[in-house]
Amino acid sequence: MPSHESHAWLWWIPLLPLLGSAIAGALHLATLRARHGDPQASAPASLAPWIACGAMLGSFVLSVTGFLELRELEPAARHLASTAHDWISIGGLDVDLGLLLDPLSSVMTLVITGVGFLIHVYASGYMKGDKGYGKFFAYLNLFVFAMLMLVLSSSLLGVFIGWEGVGLCSFLLIGFWYEKGWPAEAAQKAFVMNRVGDACFLIGSFLLIRLFDTLDLATIAHTVGSTVSFTDEQALDMSLAALFLFGGCCGKSAQFPLFTWLPDAMAGPTPVSALIHAATMVTSGIYLVVRLNPLFAASGWVLPLIAIVGALTALIGGSTALVQRDIKKVLAYSTVSQLGYMFLALGSGAWAAALFHVVTHAFFKALLFLGAGSVIHGMHEEQDMHKMGGLRKHMPQTYITFLAGAAALSGLPLLSGFFSKDEILAHAFANGGLYYGLWAVGALTAALTAYYTWRMVALTFFGEERFDHHHVHPHESPLVMTLPLMVLAVLSILGGVLGLPPVLHVPHLLAEWLAPVTDAGNKILAQSPGEHHLSHALEWVLLGLGSAIALGFAHTGFHAHRHGTAQDEFFARKRPTLAATLGDAWTIDSRYARIIVLPLRMLSFLIAVVVDQFAIDGLVNGTGRTARDIAQHSRRAVDGSLASYALWMGAGALAICALWMWS
Amino acid sequence: MSSILFYVLALVALLGAAGVILAKSPMGSVISLLGTFFALSVIYLLAGFQFLAAAQILVYAGAILVLFLFVIMLLNLGAMGSRFELSFAPLQGGRARLAGAIAVAFALVGLIAAQRTTLAATSAPAADAPAIDGLEGLALELFGRYSLPFQAVSVLLLATMVAVIVLAKRQREGEHGGERGGERGGDPR
Amino acid sequence: MNVPTAHLLYLSAGLFALGVLGFMVRRNVIVVLMCVELMLNAANLAFLAASRQHALEGKPALQGPVFAIFVITVAAAEAAVGLALIIALYRLKQSAETDAAAEMKG
Repeated sequence: MPSHESHAWLWWIPLLPLLGSAIAGALHLATLRARHGDPQASAPASLAPWIACGAMLGSFVLSVTGFLELRELEPAARHLASTAHDWISIGGLDVDLGLLLDPLSSVMTLVITGVGFLIHVYASGYMKGDKGYGKFFAYLNLFVFAMLMLVLSSSLLGVFIGWEGVGLCSFLLIGFWYEKGWPAEAAQKAFVMNRVGDACFLIGSFLLIRLFDTLDLATIAHTVGSTVSFTDEQALDMSLAALFLFGGCCGKSAQFPLFTWLPDAMAGPTPVSALIHAATMVTSGIYLVVRLNPLFAASGWVLPLIAIVGALTALIGGSTALVQRDIKKVLAYSTVSQLGYMFLALGSGAWAAALFHVVTHAFFKALLFLGAGSVIHGMHEEQDMHKMGGLRKHMPQTYITFLAGAAALSGLPLLSGFFSKDEILAHAFANGGLYYGLWAVGALTAALTAYYTWRMVALTFFGEERFDHHHVHPHESPLVMTLPLMVLAVLSILGGVLGLPPVLHVPHLLAEWLAPVTDAGNKILAQSPGEHHLSHALEWVLLGLGSAIALGFAHTGFHAHRHGTAQDEFFARKRPTLAATLGDAWTIDSRYARIIVLPLRMLSFLIAVVVDQFAIDGLVNGTGRTARDIAQHSRRAVDGSLASYALWMGAGALAICALWMWS
Repeated sequence: MSSILFYVLALVALLGAAGVILAKSPMGSVISLLGTFFALSVIYLLAGFQFLAAAQILVYAGAILVLFLFVIMLLNLGAMGSRFELSFAPLQGGRARLAGAIAVAFALVGLIAAQRTTLAATSAPAADAPAIDGLEGLALELFGRYSLPFQAVSVLLLATMVAVIVLAKRQREGEHGGERGGERGGDPR
Repeated sequence: MNVPTAHLLYLSAGLFALGVLGFMVRRNVIVVLMCVELMLNAANLAFLAASRQHALEGKPALQGPVFAIFVITVAAAEAAVGLALIIALYRLKQSAETDAAAEMKG
């Protein structure tokens, strides 16, 4: 239970970005006004990144302070809470507006503010010269505020508000360049698809209210964790609640079948892709499941379902990334795939492993996105890898850091991605039964990951230069952009120390840190029969297999593509159907277009043409026409003759008197 | 004795009312109305309302009817006939028959209402009513319980004064206002 | 005067009906106004008849006269405004007939 001691300073962690957002927004408006008079006027918006980065830095420092303060406490007492006031109090339901900093939210907060700060710094260089410079930082800071509310809120309702807030900011930022047209459509798509998930989230919350009469996360987790047995009805309700909450996570974290918005979301500026669609927002689903891990652990069949969905998503994302030509699309499908890994971990009951992958993925995927942004920036907004090549000479710093990120993503031994991915696969393997199949899918996806990652590296940085030398002059990005890359590269390489495998006989730092949160779920899972611990020998085998897969397929992918686009063209010629299917993400999106979007459009057309023009317009016009016709006839009664008015008046008065008399 | 006087006065009042409708000239209507008011005034006196009887004479006969006469003479409507003549022309025609039906219906409603009211004991009272509207009691009511309506009526009178001045004021040439209608009607004034 | 109250009310109803009749059949606006005065007087008579009944029953009876006074005041105001309107109408149309005011063509 959270301690009753109040730590009001916690509120500054989310409030600083909110404040920054307000100031940056005001600066943007001031810029618009200044430009209105004189296009050359010095723009106040140039101050916006300083404000935004300052807010992020302050927030990060506070997060570190909170982390250190937590570390001072006994593991079981690691809760810092602050309740602003009673928010809702209806009947038996009390919802407080409160924050809770515990090991889990502290990890998330550190990632959000730390990686977020680096991306803010990067964005101040990347977005320079954009006419929405101030607005961009206002949105970005607003997003961080919403994200921090999501991970810090002590109640599910607060989480939901953050959940909707990040959805809104995601919408605003994907559609940031809405004048181009397609970003606005992508933003709309993301928003609408997230609505599906959000509706599930709400239904899950209602079920939780019915079950527990509270939305307080710690209370729910504690109640489930300490209850010995549930009635059948309760168990069913819990499974349904978990299922619907997982549906919400599917929307936000881009899982099958709701993942198709994420690749389209790459229409936003690259720092947005890095911050929102790789490092933070899309991991909020994982956060939610870990936060409520006892509920999911106790919900029976939902857990394998999560694992299946995760594995399937990982496979779809990984295989689709193989054939993409747009560098950001590769990274987007890669993100979908890695999120699938995280859900596979959750479905295997490996809460800490999932969060470990969230952290390492935040490092290396943010790095890769920012690196890709640097490439795009240097190539004058070119995103097609077939029009790149040989860039390592032109942008050495980007190249080196990108290499570190790619190595981590593909799981090359001893890098961060290697440890987190292998931990997930080991946990899946340990569960046995159905999970052997899922482990195989995961291993296959690992191979695909290594392949497409190094294909991307080869196409971008190696081979002959396929761009038009007359128009494109690749150049290294400024220091303000490469510095965050370097920091993230270091983190990507060293991030693995957070969770070294047990065979090395060193403590798994992250798992130990999260133990107060995840113990309840693990305890429930331990009650179910099955082998949960691998022998050391088997672990070594799995580690070796993982290393071999990563190294082998990285090698293959790199060498198949290092000499140009020939391999891609060969594949497209040899297996055209397969290439098209993969290129279209297993045609899920076009199926949606055919099954859902097209009928909806037809229905809309029907309503617009038939219902609106005939029924509704007919009704409206008919009302007007009828009124006019009635007036046409009745105006004869109003003839201006006082004598007849007097007659009418007398008759009316008589009628009223008569009514009085006989009522 | 006074009861017989009441019935005679009631007849006078009704005849006067009929005269208002039937008189050929407005002047005749005014004279008939004057007769009705006087008859009513005496009825009030008989019924025990001394102050009201006086007010009836002063306000109605003395002020309002004089105002009517004044307007009739101002507009030169009295010249239509100096003698008191009756005209049944207004009571002819379909519209008049309809109006008559409505009026009769009103009378019936009034009679039935009078019949049904518990207040209206149809038997004659044993004694005369005492003087009811003594000045002291009336003043106490008017300035006590009814002081708010009293003030409202005062405001109404003030507003009336303003309205009458505005309406009756002869507008000079070139001023905006009521004279525009006259131009449309072809009136040179 | 020992007349039943009902008879006073009968007289009131008769006067009112005649007022209504005149209001509807006469075309001279001045006479129409006079008929309105007739109706107001009929109402006054009804008030006073009720008040007298109260007095005969020994109940407080001053509401009737008070309201009659208000009615007289309102009648005076109404007559003043009405006559001013007649003057304005006459100035416009050289006539005091109701038909003169009929300008709308329904």
